[in-house]
Amino acid sequence: MAGLLNLLYVFLYAPILYVVFVSFSEDIVWPFPLSLTSQAYADLFSNSLYADALANSLILGVGSGIISTAIATAGVIGILRYPSKRRTLIIVIFLSPLFVAELLIGISSLAFNSRILGLPGNMFSAIAANAVEGIAFSFLIILSQLVRYDWQMDEAAMVFGARPARCFWEVTLPTIWPSLLGAFLISFILAFNNLEISFYNLGAIPTLPSVAWGSLRFGLGPELFALAALTNGFVFLIFAVMYVLMRTGLVKFGYRGK
Amino acid sequence: MSSHDDTVSLSLEDICKQFGPVKAVDGINLDIRQDEFFALLGPSGSGKTTLLRIIAGLEHPTSGRVMVGGQDVTFMPPYHRRIGMVFQNFLLFPHKTVAENIVFPLRMQNIGKAQRDDRLSWAIQLLRLQGLEARYPHELSGGQQQRVSLARGLISRPALLLLDEPLANLDRELRAEMEIEIRRYQKELKIPFIYVTHNQEEALTMSDRIAVMRNGVFEQVGNRTEVYQKPKTVFVAGFVGQSNQMEGKVDKVNGGFLAFTWQGKKLVVPHAGDAKTGELVRFMIKHEDVQIEVASRKSAIPGNHNSIPGKLRDIIFKGQTVNYLVDLEGGMEIVASGSPRDMTLAAGDLVFAFWSQDTGSSFKLG
Repeated sequence: MAGLLNLLYVFLYAPILYVVFVSFSEDIVWPFPLSLTSQAYADLFSNSLYADALANSLILGVGSGIISTAIATAGVIGILRYPSKRRTLIIVIFLSPLFVAELLIGISSLAFNSRILGLPGNMFSAIAANAVEGIAFSFLIILSQLVRYDWQMDEAAMVFGARPARCFWEVTLPTIWPSLLGAFLISFILAFNNLEISFYNLGAIPTLPSVAWGSLRFGLGPELFALAALTNGFVFLIFAVMYVLMRTGLVKFGYRGK
Repeated sequence: MSSHDDTVSLSLEDICKQFGPVKAVDGINLDIRQDEFFALLGPSGSGKTTLLRIIAGLEHPTSGRVMVGGQDVTFMPPYHRRIGMVFQNFLLFPHKTVAENIVFPLRMQNIGKAQRDDRLSWAIQLLRLQGLEARYPHELSGGQQQRVSLARGLISRPALLLLDEPLANLDRELRAEMEIEIRRYQKELKIPFIYVTHNQEEALTMSDRIAVMRNGVFEQVGNRTEVYQKPKTVFVAGFVGQSNQMEGKVDKVNGGFLAFTWQGKKLVVPHAGDAKTGELVRFMIKHEDVQIEVASRKSAIPGNHNSIPGKLRDIIFKGQTVNYLVDLEGGMEIVASGSPRDMTLAAGDLVFAFWSQDTGSSFKLG
């Protein structure tokens, strides 16, 4: 049984590790016998296209992450605090982007933003389109954590004189911020790594995934392996930090009462 | 009621609260005086917590008015009311220290740091929380958490302190200790306390006045001895204290007394007011009002007493008191409660259960 599990891990992670391995090799087609070099990384950093792409991807990720987390948080709090007969419907509406292909979100947001809103394909449009998916994921993450939050805590704060905004800032947020951070990181990574939605809305503006995809036409370059390795490393780092924070008890997700 | 009386700090005028088809609170009128400890006693679902939430502003009444200090606060949000509250599950803010929790109401009222520190040391002293200021709620015992919760409720010297079953989560010993203490705080501070509980012992120990609530209405409002000794309804008689119940048809009404037959015995009891001859009445008498005597000493029972023969089935020793369970011939049972000092009786003895004709209460049924 343990052997089977290990085999599964190899199946899942071997390609990723292989990419990292190849990125340090001289010959990317057949990296044996071993001969290590950091040439691919030097190429990557000397090409300004990749720097632009990285900056754009970061803006996209942070922008979409913030919008997604803010809207999803408001939605979850609304659902949990003000029970309505239409609660299920509202949840379904929030989650439905999960069931739509990214390609369709890309095409339809492009069409809608440019034709109806008059927004040309630009960064704002791309951030908004990515947030469509980000909101759905954030909503799911925050909802699963906040169902355990005791809203009587907020009632107590209000009886003691806290207005709603102060109450959120003083009592709700300090308790629920870990789940908001989780939602932000997930929606950040989604937008950062996204190709289809961003590509339709950005056109010629480069992002890391679109540059990687575009360069495929000229064959796999060594700098692509370096890029893939760095991106994976970055994402892995985020999860590692989250894991350590949770494991050491510095950050506990969800409500920390009793 | 509309004219403002200085000694009245809270008035409820005809409060109703409807949740869909359910009337949780149904026409409550109440005046709470400046210095009283008032208990709202009732079983769960009686509407007492809803009423408390209406007073706090966490719920709006469907109709009626809430007046605090002569001011109509019916639709005022909770954060403007300056009412203190203590919650059943304490609801301390988990990310704040004891000191931060306690001064929270003062910070919300934008009271300066110097005054905050002053008041904090006052509250710490009053509730004997010295040395715990820097701890977090999860590092405290249940009793300490409750003290912190009380300190937070009292620190702003509110016009009114609401307590929602604050002792329900504490163990028995601690509860008894806190009962006395909470009453002491109220008497010292002279702030009206409204104390919601389903525990009649708590209500009797702590409060000056008690309202017994059921199905959204007050069954009886009165001072504690009155509610205990002169219950107005069958429900109050059964809910407050422990009673024996006897039912029968009225044979005769004579002044302040009525006679009825129960288990073949003629009993004379206080009159229910409007029960007439031939009508069904229920007579209720508290365990401690029933005494017991061995059959051989029947002559020692005074004349103006009801007495019923039976057999002592068991003696339940409760420390401060003893309960005698007496089996009657018809299969019924009477419980008499007394002091354990004279435990000369043993199970199986033939005894008489007897009580004075002017104790207990009778209620017309139907």
